Amino acid sequence: MKKRTREAFERSERRAAWTRRASLALRTVAVVYLACIALDGGGCSWPARGLPRPLAFFTQVAVLFPRAARATIDYRAEAWVCSKNEWVELDTRPYFPIDPNDKENRFNRAMHFFRDNRKTMHALDRYLVRSHDERPGDDGIDKGERIGGVRMMSLRIPIPPVGSQFERYQRYPLAHYPKTERKYFYRTPESLRARRCGADLSEGD
Amino acid sequence: MSVRSRVRYWLDEPVPIVRLEIVRIAMPLVVLGFMWARVTHADHWLGAAGFRVPDLGGDWRQPLYVPPLPAWAAWSIGVAMVASGVATSIGWKTRASAFVFSATLFFGALSDRLAAYSVSKLSPVIILALAIGPAGRMLSVDGWLHTRRTGKHWKTERPSGAVRFLQLLPVTLYMASGIAKARADWLHEPLVLYSQIHGSYQTPIAYFLARVIPRPLWTVLQGAVLTFETTAPLTFAWRRTRPFALVFGLGMHAMIGLMFGPVVWFALLMITLLVAGYLPEPLLARFIDLTSRARGPRGDRSSTSSRRDPARRARRATSREAS
Repeated sequence: MKKRTREAFERSERRAAWTRRASLALRTVAVVYLACIALDGGGCSWPARGLPRPLAFFTQVAVLFPRAARATIDYRAEAWVCSKNEWVELDTRPYFPIDPNDKENRFNRAMHFFRDNRKTMHALDRYLVRSHDERPGDDGIDKGERIGGVRMMSLRIPIPPVGSQFERYQRYPLAHYPKTERKYFYRTPESLRARRCGADLSEGD
Repeated sequence: MSVRSRVRYWLDEPVPIVRLEIVRIAMPLVVLGFMWARVTHADHWLGAAGFRVPDLGGDWRQPLYVPPLPAWAAWSIGVAMVASGVATSIGWKTRASAFVFSATLFFGALSDRLAAYSVSKLSPVIILALAIGPAGRMLSVDGWLHTRRTGKHWKTERPSGAVRFLQLLPVTLYMASGIAKARADWLHEPLVLYSQIHGSYQTPIAYFLARVIPRPLWTVLQGAVLTFETTAPLTFAWRRTRPFALVFGLGMHAMIGLMFGPVVWFALLMITLLVAGYLPEPLLARFIDLTSRARGPRGDRSSTSSRRDPARRARRATSREAS
């Protein structure tokens, strides 16, 4: 009887010891996590350098709207229509259906993060051309039209001065915006457009 | 009392578990609201139907390359996310469902950098804290089943590192965010706030305010937000300023939610953390007393009203120090 009581006591002691260790480990992890958030906000690169990138990613949450916007940024695409030999606006929203009408849309995010990354831009080019050819949506270009490539840009719409009367933001066709507000980041190489269209191109850009 | 003792006392002091339950009930609903657009297009979000950023081999913008999933797997993860989120919110098999919910959220955030925002990064950690902590003991299916089986209620107060973590999280976020803002433009650009309310996030309310608020008031609001954020550790720690900090924080997030369209989910996430973490104890006590009365006379009847008794707090502190 005594032996059984002692065994039970030892077992509960061991369990309590493990609970204490687990609690200490969890507290340490929590402190490190909160410290990394604070350091990241303070501009310290230790968390990004010291933690594996997938873990550091979850600590990069505090730097929200730190800079004044110089313009309202929107990202758009045009497609090279083979039969017309010209660039026509391609509405990307049918091919990026998550949050299609605001800048949380994945096309906007791809452009925001990766517009200077050629590999991603080539992949985006392939994706848009293939999507239009294989499962055309309501993208502003006739379903039967082949497209040979895309060019992608940002629109930099000026912010109206404080106190002025201005129109509420809405998405207009590309033609609504002056050329000075467009900044091109990517254009399908001409040779590739020609190959996809299966013909020579007249425009020499 | 030394600083170390104070910290240990603060960590080990029994806290109202209802704080955790508020997060457990509201947070999964907020997160699912944010995720809904993604989940309903799971094949585009996690699968091969949508655009995937290729493997960039260690590029800083890609924390981890996750190849696209087959459509059935993408939809399965979406279904698991919704089911486990709902189960966590109603408190059914809370620990297991919260672990599954957290795992699906971690996967979603890492799998698609393009659809990952602050909510995507914070929510798996918050839900993990729920899974580790004693969530699901009140106002839950688990609690109801426990009472039916044993005839007793779980305690309404107990030490909980999860509650303390969820109290520290928003304050740390504010401080870090305030420092980042101060280091960037907020101290020398007078119209940072105004500049942010244009574009596709703009709601009718933001549009209205952008036209009627005079220029100096934008700068005053900007200063108030920056002051609130950078001083949050002090204002939330000090009992006298805490209610004011809470009201300011709730007001700030309400305005963010009303003015910034899709950012409403982040605003709701922060409001949930603030309410759960810093709602004054008299209000919590009243709420617990009400639910205790509804639950009947069985089980633990301790409530936060007794915690407010200074004599009891002093006795508890003394006994803890002695031990």
